[in-house]
Amino acid sequence: MKTAFLSGRRLREWREYLTAYLMIAPATILILMFGIFPVGFALFVSLHKWRLKRGDFLGMDNYVRALENFAYILFFGLAVGLLVWGVMALRRMWVESQEFGDQPWWLALPALLFSATLLSMVNWLFRVLPEMLDIADKIIGLEKTRELFLQLLDEAFHAEIAFAAWRILVSLAVISLLVFAGLLFSQQLSKPRFGNYTFQFLGVELVLFSGAWLLWVTYLAVQAAYVLAMESGVDPGIWPQVITIGSGVILLLLGWRVWQRGLTRSNNWAFLGHVLAAMTMLVGAWLLIGELPTLLAAGDKDIWVGLKVTLFYSLGTVPFQLTFSLFLAILLFQKLRGSEIFRMLYFLPYVTPTVASAAIFRQLFSNRYQAPINQLLITLGMEPQQWLREPRGIFVILAQAAHLSWPDWAAGPSMALLAIMIYSVWTYIGYDTVIYLAGLGNISTELIEAAEIDGAGQWEVFRHITLPLLSPTTYFLSLLAIIGTFKAFNHIWVMRQGSALGTTDTFSVVIFAEFFEKLRYGYASALAFVLFAVILSLTYINNKIQGSRVFYG
Amino acid sequence: MDSEQHFWKNSRKAAKNISVYTFLVLGVVISVTPFLWMILTSFMSLGEAQGIRWIPSQLHFENYTNAWKEAAFSEYFVNSVFLTIITLAGELTFSIMAAYAFARIKFPGREVIFGLLLSTIMIPAMVNIIPNFLTVTWLGRIGPIKWINNWPALTIPFMGSIFSIFLLRQFFAQIPDELFDAARIDGAGHLRFLVKVVLPLSKAPVMVIIVLSFIGSWNALAWPMLVTNSPDWRPIAVGLYNFVEEAGQSLHLMMAGAFITIIPILVLYFFTQKQFTESIARSGLKG
Repeated sequence: MKTAFLSGRRLREWREYLTAYLMIAPATILILMFGIFPVGFALFVSLHKWRLKRGDFLGMDNYVRALENFAYILFFGLAVGLLVWGVMALRRMWVESQEFGDQPWWLALPALLFSATLLSMVNWLFRVLPEMLDIADKIIGLEKTRELFLQLLDEAFHAEIAFAAWRILVSLAVISLLVFAGLLFSQQLSKPRFGNYTFQFLGVELVLFSGAWLLWVTYLAVQAAYVLAMESGVDPGIWPQVITIGSGVILLLLGWRVWQRGLTRSNNWAFLGHVLAAMTMLVGAWLLIGELPTLLAAGDKDIWVGLKVTLFYSLGTVPFQLTFSLFLAILLFQKLRGSEIFRMLYFLPYVTPTVASAAIFRQLFSNRYQAPINQLLITLGMEPQQWLREPRGIFVILAQAAHLSWPDWAAGPSMALLAIMIYSVWTYIGYDTVIYLAGLGNISTELIEAAEIDGAGQWEVFRHITLPLLSPTTYFLSLLAIIGTFKAFNHIWVMRQGSALGTTDTFSVVIFAEFFEKLRYGYASALAFVLFAVILSLTYINNKIQGSRVFYG
Repeated sequence: MDSEQHFWKNSRKAAKNISVYTFLVLGVVISVTPFLWMILTSFMSLGEAQGIRWIPSQLHFENYTNAWKEAAFSEYFVNSVFLTIITLAGELTFSIMAAYAFARIKFPGREVIFGLLLSTIMIPAMVNIIPNFLTVTWLGRIGPIKWINNWPALTIPFMGSIFSIFLLRQFFAQIPDELFDAARIDGAGHLRFLVKVVLPLSKAPVMVIIVLSFIGSWNALAWPMLVTNSPDWRPIAVGLYNFVEEAGQSLHLMMAGAFITIIPILVLYFFTQKQFTESIARSGLKG
């Protein structure tokens, strides 16, 4: 239906749009400013030497300092991943357009223009950001007036490089707008699916361009590292590492895919062939990746301690809190008298403000021999412990008590971390119990009754009906808990003590300490991105592996 | 014969119940004992608190007045209440407006903008904390009001909450269209419809947001620690943390302070128990 350009209907529509934009404006601006913009800003910070104030541009050096040569491998991997993803998306588009008999390929050109505009906007933001930041330094000591601020803003805006970037942005934006208007008026975008195609092209081109750019920048960085290393007469050996480990990872992925495919084959020989091929690939991948641990060990010690602590922390808390809470949930589910009150009391630790409950535990697990936990140990005839001040591993301490010698590498989590893990389990049991109770409530009683009529005992019902039907809940809780261990901060910050020598610092705590205590903003930002990458890949792997095994009844 | 069978069945059931209760009570002992110890210790004298006794020989109520006045817990408490109210007012207004537009008005870019906002949920706090600190410092230096050590840094960044928008949007989308059509015929615009019809219906999700943001601001440690360096605007969690770090030996005051920190949350918990449990269960917050 065609409507006149400024008909009453159009106007009403526009008023409606305006209302909507005004309504979402405050929240959207705030989230953009404190939720999305900071990611780019953090990237900017992480590329600089930045201790309290912005220093020199360093490129990837902060990442290399954290991960050594592994950083290059990671960036190459990311670049290749982006390129592969872009190409796959193109292929999907091709299949889709074939299906509908569309000819959308010429839309790639306008989309290229739009993506160039977006990228030039990013470029401009990166150029103008430092100038804007400098305003705050220039204004110190002067009287803050509107005029002065506007003048400084104007200066920042017209600074040489920033203004050049601005000009590029404006000219691209104008052309883009014209092209967009042309597309609108020639009714191209109102063809079915064509708007969507343009959007997809835009995304694919952005991804492909970033991938290629990242590849190029990483290549330059590696070359620079070679030049630097050759001057001091050592071979950094980055290229061989990139190639072996890169091909190892590719083999690993291929092996995994072949394995997955083999599992679906009904023919025995095909199955065997697939499995054998997958096995060979996995062994080959393993041989190629074998160098990885030594490579990783060359990076910043704090990170690996942080990762190790996080690993201990999740192994020592997640299984226990899930088991205990499942047990409690099943007991509570019997609907005995007073179960409401029990549930309320179990939930209490989780509800309590973390700082307060951690302060209590800091005293309970104090190293004074009068402290409650040490008193408990003494009553049980054991030695009082240093607890939160003890950096030695628990297995070492146990072995010492039994007069055995124990190797250092198997020391396990430190005594201090053990105390924190106990706190953590204590806190989260209530939460997990409540979620499990909800999960139990969703299981239909008919199934259980049917099984009971068939003569299944209580344990069998639990093992073969309750537990599998609870698997989505377990999946949700374990994912939440594992990601939670990477984010864990408040309680550890309250309970951590200098004499535990950093054996209680999980990844987030390491980052915050770099930032807050050592004032290395640039380095801490780089670490934060490493954390982000770890969390994203954990979520992805967890979805891939566990997602296929969860039973959604 | 029949009654004998009945007796055995009953007693087996009783035995089962007793064992279930044993475990349940054991769980309660473990989860409640630390609080009990805190309360008992908070009434002791300094000497007793450092000893091994559990029961105070005399109730030292003055610990609470000391913590309240000398350790400045009164100030922190008032700060926290103020900050929570300011944050909540902003968060509720902005989220309700945005959620309404996302749920009930069709406009170009709706899905894209919402998806963009939703993607921020994945970002770990540690990525954002450093640049946000820089932004807030910058804003305070160039602008007319201070941000660091003042209420804006502690409240404004939390007023845009995608979680609240998401929750409310889900709820608003379920309100039947007939209601809106009826209001339209009566001549009501979006804003009137929102205030007169939608809001009175959405007490439940609004309550959830109030509870969650209350817990959130009572729990926050890293950010407030960063943006406050004097007691003027320091919220209670940071106050307690500093007290724990600095007070050293005065255990009894520390526990009194911890109890003061916990009380408001406890009160809220006991009064809105069901709502409270459900809202937390739904969000899985707390890091």
